[in-house]
Amino acid sequence: MSIGKFLVKRLLQGVLVIWGVITIMFALRAVSPGDPANLIVGPAADPEIRDQVREQYGLNEPIYVQYVDYVQGMVTGDFGYSFQSSREVTTMVLERVPATLELAIAATIIAVVIAVPLGVISASRRNEPADYGATLFSLLGISTPNFWLGLMLILLFAVFLQDPMETYLGFSFPQGRRTVGFGEAVITLVTTGYAGDLLTWVRHITLPAITLGTYFTAMITRLTRSGMIDEFGKPYVTATEAKGIPYVLIRYKHVLRNTMIPIITVLGLQLGTLIGGAVITETVFNWPGLGDRLIQALNARDWPLMQGIIVFIALGFVLINIAVDALYATLDPRVTNE
Amino acid sequence: MIPDRLESNLRQGFRESLLPKLGLVLLASILIMAIFAPVLATHNPTRTGYLDENGNSYPPLGTSYTTEIGQDGEFVEVEVESTSDHLLGTNDIGQDVFSRLVYGARTSMLVGLLGTGLAVLIGVPFGLISGYYGGRVDDAMMRIADTMLAFPSLVLALALIGVFGSAGFGIPDPLTRFGLIDGMPESTMLPGTVTVVVALVTWVWFARVARGEAMSVRNEEYVTAARSMGASNWTILFKHVLPNSLTPVIVLATIQVAAVILLESSLSFLGFSGTTLSWGYDISRGQGYQRTSWWISMVPGLGIVFAVIAVNLLGDWLRDALDPNIEGEGGGA
Repeated sequence: MSIGKFLVKRLLQGVLVIWGVITIMFALRAVSPGDPANLIVGPAADPEIRDQVREQYGLNEPIYVQYVDYVQGMVTGDFGYSFQSSREVTTMVLERVPATLELAIAATIIAVVIAVPLGVISASRRNEPADYGATLFSLLGISTPNFWLGLMLILLFAVFLQDPMETYLGFSFPQGRRTVGFGEAVITLVTTGYAGDLLTWVRHITLPAITLGTYFTAMITRLTRSGMIDEFGKPYVTATEAKGIPYVLIRYKHVLRNTMIPIITVLGLQLGTLIGGAVITETVFNWPGLGDRLIQALNARDWPLMQGIIVFIALGFVLINIAVDALYATLDPRVTNE
Repeated sequence: MIPDRLESNLRQGFRESLLPKLGLVLLASILIMAIFAPVLATHNPTRTGYLDENGNSYPPLGTSYTTEIGQDGEFVEVEVESTSDHLLGTNDIGQDVFSRLVYGARTSMLVGLLGTGLAVLIGVPFGLISGYYGGRVDDAMMRIADTMLAFPSLVLALALIGVFGSAGFGIPDPLTRFGLIDGMPESTMLPGTVTVVVALVTWVWFARVARGEAMSVRNEEYVTAARSMGASNWTILFKHVLPNSLTPVIVLATIQVAAVILLESSLSFLGFSGTTLSWGYDISRGQGYQRTSWWISMVPGLGIVFAVIAVNLLGDWLRDALDPNIEGEGGGA
């Protein structure tokens, strides 16, 4: 099978999965107790007004008509209107995407930059202090709930160390809601040459990104370590060593490259954990992303908004997984032969 | 259930490394905490009002903090000292933090073990059938599994709880019910919805593993032999294929207990778990009081960290000894 064919097959599967996701979300709303009209205008409202509202939101139609409408809307990018604010769900979702992406990407960068070298060092110095340190760190990292880690980081940096940091370093990590997005900050920098906004953004994102990234740092460290140890035992390593190629080159060029393939696969599978982690990290840090909005929607039982966010997250998740598969297929041609 | 060759692997792994021993000791301590909570707790964990005369919470033993109180229309700084009555202090509404730490172990362990057990019961038969029959059955069942995997587990769990609410029910506690110990709660709240929900969002990992195992053994000679003797597909599946697929399921189940504990604590942190006697919930209680009362959030968090470390250490040991190629879901939080 060529890579093109393989991708088409994966895309078709992805479409099927998204349809499944939309159907599950619709079914969940259909079995959900309570009259949606109550949520929109309140239980005390005039029956006439409630009828009007039901009419307006299409809640009087038979269930299959609602389903077809719903799927049609989703396909055309129309996610309906929020019960609570009457705004378009599509807008409410899209305006929150950048903040979540910033957080997820920052966390991933932190994780990869720290974890890969740490894993390599750990594997090359097996059973030495550096290895024990890395192993302990990664055990703690995969065992710590990130919302608690976030609170402890706030406690440490934004409460205990705030004054000393201001005095000696001239900056500290702010506690409040982020004031400027990455995009705006970059635009300001490019158009006016003012870097202050970007620095503010960096100070705001540091603690949330560490919070979200720690679990992944720990996991990638473990994967890199065990993957490298497996690879070290293979004949080609002995052969390259025998040829006199420097250890550093063997380690980083040959062994690490072969280790990356399983790491990428597992990372693709763990993206759900990253997104789930983002939801809860955003709540802790009051970060204005999708997760923050999802929790608000859940608390208000705002179904259209909740469905919109969840379908959007699933869509992103499926697309990223297809991208990971494509990357995997280019790295390892055996995949497409399955 | 576990072949001899692997059993000796297990023994060797246990003998040669400190980590599985540490995991076992930690897990045993937490289980003892959970089972004998009424004996170990110093106060009723739900009783409020253990505050000093100005209404301030007590700090952990050996520490103190300063806070401001209103006196004669002015703010006056006072020093709040700890008391030996409350080892780890009290929270914002004056509940004993140590007793809540002890009781919180119950919720975590109950949901962790029952939730994972339920996920095994759903996922393993699903995967076995899918892998054993293959073909179109397998295709259809795997698309269902893919759809489940398209939801991040925390997000799906939140959606399910959004629909079904979060109910719990009390399990009578024999230690207090029969009057052996006074002044402790007579039953423990099991967050029932959350237990079912965590199973519903994690079963698919068991299905994947069981499917792989079923596919690899379905053409083995003993299966063909059983078939030639007229055994039905169900007999073959549950009498022959299942026992031979259990090793990786055991490994995955151990890892998943850790993931479920983290998932439960995330849900109760967000206020969706249906019980207020839970580590995650207690962490959220302390959120607003970080500046002075840091212990309210810190203590229950350490409970989670130790519980998850214990399970992870055992999981690592089992995985290294039994099956190096297994992928679980990981933390979810």
